[in-house]
Amino acid sequence: MRREPLRAFLLLIPALLVLGGLFLGSFAPALLQSLGHFPAVGMRGYTLGYYRELFGDPEFLGSLLFSLRISCISSALAVVLGTFLGFLLFSKRKKEGVQRFLALLPIAVPHTVAALLVLQLLSRTGMLGRFLFSLGILASPAEMGSFVFDPSGVGVIVAYLWKGLPFAAVVVAVVLRTLDPRLCEAALVLGASRIQVFWHVLLPLLFPTLSSTFVLLFGFSFGAFEVPFLLGPTFPQALPVAAYRAYLNPDMASRPYAMVYVVVITAMVLGLVFLYGFLARRGERFS
Amino acid sequence: MKRRNILWIAVLMMVGALGGTLVWSAPSRGEDLGDWASLKEAARGSEVRFYGWGGDPRVNAWLDSFVAPRMKERYGVTLRRVGMNIQEILNKLLSEKAGGKDTGIIDVVWINGENFYAARKGDLLFGPFTERLPHFEAFLDVSGEEVAFDFGFPTEGFESPWGRGQLVLFRDSSRLPREIRGYEDFLKAAQEHPGEITYPAPPDFTGSAFVRTLICHMVGRENIASLSSDKELLREAVAPAMEFLRDLKPYLWMEGASYPATSSQLRNMYEDGELLLGMSYTPFLVPGKIASGEFPESTESFVFERGTVGNTHFLAIPFNAPNKAGAMLFINAMLDPEMQASKYDPSRWGDLPVLDLSRLSPGERVLFDNLSPGKGALPLEEILQGRIPELPALFIPLLDELWREAVLQ
Repeated sequence: MRREPLRAFLLLIPALLVLGGLFLGSFAPALLQSLGHFPAVGMRGYTLGYYRELFGDPEFLGSLLFSLRISCISSALAVVLGTFLGFLLFSKRKKEGVQRFLALLPIAVPHTVAALLVLQLLSRTGMLGRFLFSLGILASPAEMGSFVFDPSGVGVIVAYLWKGLPFAAVVVAVVLRTLDPRLCEAALVLGASRIQVFWHVLLPLLFPTLSSTFVLLFGFSFGAFEVPFLLGPTFPQALPVAAYRAYLNPDMASRPYAMVYVVVITAMVLGLVFLYGFLARRGERFS
Repeated sequence: MKRRNILWIAVLMMVGALGGTLVWSAPSRGEDLGDWASLKEAARGSEVRFYGWGGDPRVNAWLDSFVAPRMKERYGVTLRRVGMNIQEILNKLLSEKAGGKDTGIIDVVWINGENFYAARKGDLLFGPFTERLPHFEAFLDVSGEEVAFDFGFPTEGFESPWGRGQLVLFRDSSRLPREIRGYEDFLKAAQEHPGEITYPAPPDFTGSAFVRTLICHMVGRENIASLSSDKELLREAVAPAMEFLRDLKPYLWMEGASYPATSSQLRNMYEDGELLLGMSYTPFLVPGKIASGEFPESTESFVFERGTVGNTHFLAIPFNAPNKAGAMLFINAMLDPEMQASKYDPSRWGDLPVLDLSRLSPGERVLFDNLSPGKGALPLEEILQGRIPELPALFIPLLDELWREAVLQ
């Protein structure tokens, strides 16, 4: 009995070595470099000057806001619309096969491919513009304007939504299946309408799941590079894209700026991981 | 029993994980090798790992289908090509240097300009080595501006020239009939075709070269090149060019709110007919693209009357290359007239040769003279006429930043 914790620890070590080693092995140098300590190119000593400078730089702040906005909007829409899709998946079990396939497809498709699909569909010479043109709604396909590479980030949001919505739906459907159906039946017997059952019984039960799903989607889209790189505007750039650009600057003396980007992204995502853990624990207590 | 097994597995995995982090280092070849013949012998049967930009399928195809078989046949060397951006390669070398990794995995890198400068400053390259290459002395004008210097920075034997690029623009002449002789025409064309013309956003290599070409035209290269690399000095000096680019902005694709991130993206949009004009650092890009049906038949290459910027691109060897003998053998082979002529062939890559053609035998000269630029391309003399040597390497990242601050925001 006394050996149990030790054994659990020993069994965890290989996984911890890989996860912790990779994370610390790359994050520690990034943190040091962001503070201006980069002995490989002869920079020594520590300063917060690079943080101060970037936090006063409109380009950095623009990137931060842009990333927060696209992650917020895409994750919120994914969770809200995903809830309804989840209900559909759960309640109409007869045609389950086809629906499940359609819902699961985007989850299996990589983000890069999703970005290219959005590009094909929404770019100025994309399929949507051509389709509307062929129907005579638009005078020329180019009149569509561009929803990709736009400073408001519509293309990026659509790509994340296409990936995130079905994920949220599947999570909702799975949780609904584990709920006790008698709760709904009881409410119906007591005279609640279907809409009331949804708002007052199911939604509160689903809420912990929905909030942690939101955090998960938010964290992923906030830290991911490929979608905003492929579909985002030149200005403002999403934080990971801006970090990459700063990292490619051949002048090694400007490396600390790139690492400030990296540290900010990492800090944000770590914060979200803790938030997720907190929400998940609260969810357990609920059910 | 079972429990103990699981414990043992955990312990073994731990040992494995630790062991994996210790790098097994092999002795590197080439540093202390004597003459060329013994170096050749040492490289036989080895593998040369070539890291460089992999963004052009034609370049990749030339390396894989023309160069690699000849390296195998002549020297018994296997060429392995890995496509990677030079900045990423340098970052990799830098972390290997910081980590004290003396035996790396890269034998040859494709490099030039500010990246060569950064690599030299970081002491990331092996050399000087070019004096050991038999072809270097034999076929090159070794003291020439384009061999001895790279973006104004002395090469000092740490890189060997491979080819010459130059910014060449192209347009779909059926939809954009206006001839574009200089920046004034460029603005007029954009005004006549709003939203259908743009350029890649610096720090993309091509976009950055386009901006530098305009700067040289509007301000004069000599007035910039003589400055020290101070951002504020440069900001003032290039102000007219930045102002021009701001005036141009409302007529560009997406009203200049966004720019293609890479020259490949620009090219894709040109192929889709979304743009009427494109640009490339590969002077003979167009004929191959017309032949493959990607570009419309009516595509025509052009350069500004007062020229466009051009530079030499080089091959270098990392400080920790595991196979330095093979690397030198490969770099020497790249200076072979046959290789250079094949690289220049517009139906393959179309990269301008670096050789001093006056040093070649008549038989070797013929290899170059027989090649014609092909449909939609400019003759070599017309491209080189008015060729503007690149600005000093240190200016490049500063000018890219100035563009972001002055034009983009």
